[in-house]
Amino acid sequence: MDPMHGRMREQPKLAGPTSYERIVLKNPSEHHYMKVQLEFNGEGAQLSATQFKLLVVSALKNLHGEVGSSLPLDLLSFDEKTLCAVLRVCSRGLVKLWSSLTLLGHYKNHECSIRVIQTSPFLLALAGNSRELDLE
Amino acid sequence: MAVFVDLNITNCKDVKKLQNMIEMAAHLGYSTVAINHVFEFESKKMEIGKPISTKELFSTLPTVQGKSIPIKILTRLTIIASDPSHCNVLRSTSPSTRLYDIVAVFPKTEKLFHAACTSIDVDLICINVTEKAPFFFRRPPINAAIQRGIFFELVYTPAIKDSTLRRYTISNALSLMQVCKGKNIIISSGAERALEMRGPYDIATLGLLFGLTEGVAKAAVSTNCRSAVLHGETRKTAFGVVYTVKKTCLEEEEAEPVCKKAKKS
Repeated sequence: MDPMHGRMREQPKLAGPTSYERIVLKNPSEHHYMKVQLEFNGEGAQLSATQFKLLVVSALKNLHGEVGSSLPLDLLSFDEKTLCAVLRVCSRGLVKLWSSLTLLGHYKNHECSIRVIQTSPFLLALAGNSRELDLE
Repeated sequence: MAVFVDLNITNCKDVKKLQNMIEMAAHLGYSTVAINHVFEFESKKMEIGKPISTKELFSTLPTVQGKSIPIKILTRLTIIASDPSHCNVLRSTSPSTRLYDIVAVFPKTEKLFHAACTSIDVDLICINVTEKAPFFFRRPPINAAIQRGIFFELVYTPAIKDSTLRRYTISNALSLMQVCKGKNIIISSGAERALEMRGPYDIATLGLLFGLTEGVAKAAVSTNCRSAVLHGETRKTAFGVVYTVKKTCLEEEEAEPVCKKAKKS
């Protein structure tokens, strides 16, 4: 993120020099990133990245309708072996996306579930999972 | 810190399946689960069975993800009440309900719902999520239930299975929220398979959909459940439960730098 973006600098009103500078971080980040994994019972279906995106969009459409399915949503990466994906969604739509992923239960007559592994406003945070650290 | 609890894992004969579900719950980060024994009166003379012994399920209990403690397994009894006589087993201090950690009731009629909220000695009241609510939720019984420390349970598994049931779940939840204002709600899975379970943070987000606020939604899977479990314990014993915990080596901890202390807790 651009460090200058979203910051408001207040100029000190007094003529004399001040020892501090107040920086207010006004806006929360524009996007949220989610790391999710699709899980099947035993051997499930094989998916490509396009099919996965379609699955997510149809889940959104099922729960939130046309408005939900037109949220700005991107699939940043998808691993076909582990079925792990990184999604980017505008912050407003996070709850909508998350709740529709939670309520997803089927894919082409296979039972499935989407496990949300991590979610963060910063993409870099998804590089490592603090819950899997071995603190010894 | 509040730990996450799922108070509704459906009991089944298949031990392997049950083990799978509990392992999944531990993997998702639930610290406590309750195995639900549903009991429905079909004939007049039916005895409530004994709960399955939780100790025999695992030789070593699965470890909760993110913590190094083993998962805690409780037992729960749900009585489906469609006739006032069904609640007699709950009124007396019957030995059969004493074996369970938590007792819940699923009232089918408004009268029974009123009775469950005001007089019957239970910990949880199940809210019907699989059909349109057969009666309106009125304020007096619900306020009485909140006063008595009884919790209302919403189950989310039907919402995963089918879109019609999902509609009923959300609409019934919203109409309940209108009356109880998000107080004394717990959300639990009611899962019959491991894949039907969802993580605690997923459920907290789902709570937003039910009209809860963020803090209340998280409480619905953590602190409220703990209160319900403690309510169950008071029912078993007398007036209250007091836990005493020994605080070990206080001085030594204080000598440590702050960053180390944060890791321990």
